[in-house]
Amino acid sequence: MAFIFRNMWRRKGRTFLTIFGIVVGIFALTVLGGMTARMDQQVKGMKGFITGKISVAPEDSGAHVRMRGGGSSYMDLSTARAIEKIPGVQTASGMVMVQLKSAEGLSAPQMLVGYEPPADGGMFKDIKMSQGRELKAGDTDKAVVGSVLATQERSKVGGPITLKGKTYEVAGIMDATLGPTDAWAFVPYQDGLNTFLAANPFIKDVQLVQSITVLPKPGADIEALAGTIQKDIPGVKTTSPVQAEKQISQMTTIFSAIILGIAFIALFVGGLSVINTMIMSVSERRREIGLKKAIGATTSTILREYLGEAAMIGLFAGAVGMLAGLLAISALNRATHANNVVIFAVTSTVILGPVIFATILASLAGLFPALRAARLNPVDALKEE
Amino acid sequence: MSIVTTEALTKIYKMGDTTINAVDGLDLSIDKGEFLSIMGPSGSGKTTLLHLLGCLDVPTAGKVNIDGVETGDLSGAALASIRREKVGFIFQEYNLLPVLSAVENVELPLRYLKVKPAERRRRALEALEKVGLSDRARNRPSQLSGGEAQRVAIARALVTEPALVLADEPTGELDTTNTVRIMDLVRDLNRDFQQTFAIVTHDPMVAERTRRIISIRDGKIESDKAVA
Repeated sequence: MAFIFRNMWRRKGRTFLTIFGIVVGIFALTVLGGMTARMDQQVKGMKGFITGKISVAPEDSGAHVRMRGGGSSYMDLSTARAIEKIPGVQTASGMVMVQLKSAEGLSAPQMLVGYEPPADGGMFKDIKMSQGRELKAGDTDKAVVGSVLATQERSKVGGPITLKGKTYEVAGIMDATLGPTDAWAFVPYQDGLNTFLAANPFIKDVQLVQSITVLPKPGADIEALAGTIQKDIPGVKTTSPVQAEKQISQMTTIFSAIILGIAFIALFVGGLSVINTMIMSVSERRREIGLKKAIGATTSTILREYLGEAAMIGLFAGAVGMLAGLLAISALNRATHANNVVIFAVTSTVILGPVIFATILASLAGLFPALRAARLNPVDALKEE
Repeated sequence: MSIVTTEALTKIYKMGDTTINAVDGLDLSIDKGEFLSIMGPSGSGKTTLLHLLGCLDVPTAGKVNIDGVETGDLSGAALASIRREKVGFIFQEYNLLPVLSAVENVELPLRYLKVKPAERRRRALEALEKVGLSDRARNRPSQLSGGEAQRVAIARALVTEPALVLADEPTGELDTTNTVRIMDLVRDLNRDFQQTFAIVTHDPMVAERTRRIISIRDGKIESDKAVA
């Protein structure tokens, strides 16, 4: 191992440039990986919100998963009542959303969601309350607040929270999901509607809903039920949990592919410079390879030695690039923290992935030069000047 | 007792349409503890013979037997194993690794023999002591004189206690004083430890200090005589 290091430092300038090339690539991979990890967290958090529910939207409203809320078409609350008459439906809750604060970076916007709480709660199946309780039918002037919003507003259960000029009593605070709902506040439908109408004075319809969330009865086939609603209720578009997940996954897959693609191009260049460096090293040390073979080194010993050197370049560059990436992530997260915005997430994959990747990449790049070294004929190699 | 024997040993190189018989049906026997030189003009085949004796190269025809092992049909890995265990090499240009200290250079063959680090260090220091360089153990090759570097190379060749040490023009880079010193050292090592040496040289002064001179011309033995 010590010999590998000493050989690496024989040509300091060249080794430094090679390492620097990979460091840049790994830095990009770490930072972009952190961004992807954060998006992944948000998607998982969102999945917690959509699990076990059917979402019903107006037919021409476009994508169901409206992380930014709004939309130009509305339904009437009577549609929710009509859906409730379909066998297998437990509750159909009309919803209306108003943006409290626009999105910053990759973070979700703060939203006020007015909804009709089911009689016994149960609207947030996979999201637990860290404090307090869910809203119940009949609650007025009460709010359930997402973890990020609660922290930002210093909310306490039983305490007040003012949203768009109206003060609510905090009934419950949700566990952090790392998804967009962390920045949302849920209030009774009528309160939400009033806020919505105040924000959109040109709309006169008084019982509008932007979407309806349908909870099935226990044991009901939720995918089949989504089909029945689609068939029986005119002018709506249903999205089952399976469809919703598919839509979210598609979105994130494309995003991940683009940013990782950029990072991989950077690393490809790094890989080429490892090949170049190792070919140069082998050419310069042909006599040494010949000597080593003369005193008993086998082909595999030489192969291991040169592969080890290439892998070490990758490991070292990977570690430095990853640490630089983490520093950047931490600085950027700290800078946006004041606004409660988290753009990057640090997971074990974000830390280990780039380092392992750089090591494997450099080893692969070093394989051809190492094989060339290992297969040298000792007599020929010893003749080199 | 023979430590090395060859039978009709032949090495033919083909360069385009030209065929060169570098070693041409050579029969040779070297006994344990011998101290001999192989002489001949440039292109006589002496270095090729040395490479064949040391299993660095494989013959076109004929046999080499080293310390009871027939090397003709051995694989590359098996030949490497013979080089590790039975042969020590000394080269004209020392061939020390510049990133290693003197003692680490001497340890190198023991590494390939998978000797444990502490044992490796002990034996390497012992070998350096035999060549009178204990005080330069930590020096890098760039900090050694030519004579010292060659003595480190001799220690490296001896450290595995090989059956045969092959030296290719070991004094070729040295001045007369250092040539005499190195030859005296090698002769003492042969006398004190019964170490077998075969030295390729074109320098009569070197050859005269050995006890047997084999002269080679055109890949064949021209003369083989004991030195009085």
